[in-house]
Amino acid sequence: MNAGPSQPRPANQHMRRNPPIAGEQEAIDKAREGDARAFETLYAMHKRRVYSLCLRMLGNVAEAEDLTQEAFLQLYRKIGTFRGDSAFSTWLHRLAVNVVLMHLRRKGLPQVSLEETLEPSQDDGPRKDIGARDLTLSGSIDRVTLERAIENLPPGYRLVFVLHDVEGYEHNEIAGMLDCSIGNSKSQLHKARMKLRDLLRTGQRKEQIA
Amino acid sequence: MSVRAMDKTMTCAEFQETLPELFEAQADLNAQDHLTTCENCAALVRDLNYIASQAKLLLPMHDPSPAVWDNIQDALRRTPGVPSAQPGRK
Repeated sequence: MNAGPSQPRPANQHMRRNPPIAGEQEAIDKAREGDARAFETLYAMHKRRVYSLCLRMLGNVAEAEDLTQEAFLQLYRKIGTFRGDSAFSTWLHRLAVNVVLMHLRRKGLPQVSLEETLEPSQDDGPRKDIGARDLTLSGSIDRVTLERAIENLPPGYRLVFVLHDVEGYEHNEIAGMLDCSIGNSKSQLHKARMKLRDLLRTGQRKEQIA
Repeated sequence: MSVRAMDKTMTCAEFQETLPELFEAQADLNAQDHLTTCENCAALVRDLNYIASQAKLLLPMHDPSPAVWDNIQDALRRTPGVPSAQPGRK
C-alpha cells in the first residue's frame, strides 16, 4: 500500500471539511525548513482532527494515541514532499488514514477483512421491520449516542462508515485504500448504516423500558 | 434493471436490495412508488438518511493526551539532524 497521501479531493469537500487555517501556510513553510516551533504549531492545529480520526477508525484510545504519534512523526519526515496540490489538512488526514490502515494490516486484519463482513447474513439482509414501525430515529439521536453506536460497529463496517460518512471520502478513494472493489465499499457502507440503525433503535428501546 | 420501472410491484426485500444504488445515485427517494405504500420502508429510508446526515455533522471532539506530544518530541530528539522541539507548551 502506498503510505503517502495522494488524490486531492473536490474543492467543495475541501472547504466543507478543511477550511483554511490562519497561519498554517507560514507554519508549513517553516516546518519544511526544520523549524521545530513551526512543527509544534502544526501539531497544535491538527492534533484533534488526526486523533479523532484515529480513534473513530480504531475504537481504542491507546492505539489511537500511538498512531497519532506515528502520523505526526511521518508528517515530520514527509512534509518536504507536500506540494500543495490539495489542502494541507486533506493531505495530512490521508497520511493518517494510511498509517491506521498499515497498522491494521500489520495486526493481521480481521479489522479490515471486508470479505468477512460481506458474507450475507440474516442480520444484514433486507427486512420488513415488522412490529417496529413505531420507532423512528429522526431528530432523536445526539452526538454522543451516535459516536457510541459507531464504536460498536464491527471493525470492517466502522472503517468504511467513518471514511465515507464522517470523513467524506468517495467510494473510489476508499476502494483504493482498502484494496477492495468500489461495489464492496458501497455494500459495506449500506450494511454499516443498517447496523447503526439497529444499534440506535435497540438503544432507544432500552431507554424506553428503563 | 430499471428501479423506477419495477418499484410499483416490488416487495420490501426487492426495494431494500436497490437502496445502496439509490442512495449512491442520490436519487429522489420520495419519488419511489414503493415508499408511497410502505411505511416500513419509508421509515427505513428516513432513518438511513438521518444517520448519514448526522454523521457528516460529527466534529473532531477529542484531544490526545499531553503524553503524545511528549513522545513525539522524544522521538524527534533521537533523530539525528533534527532540531529539538520546544517542550512544555502543549
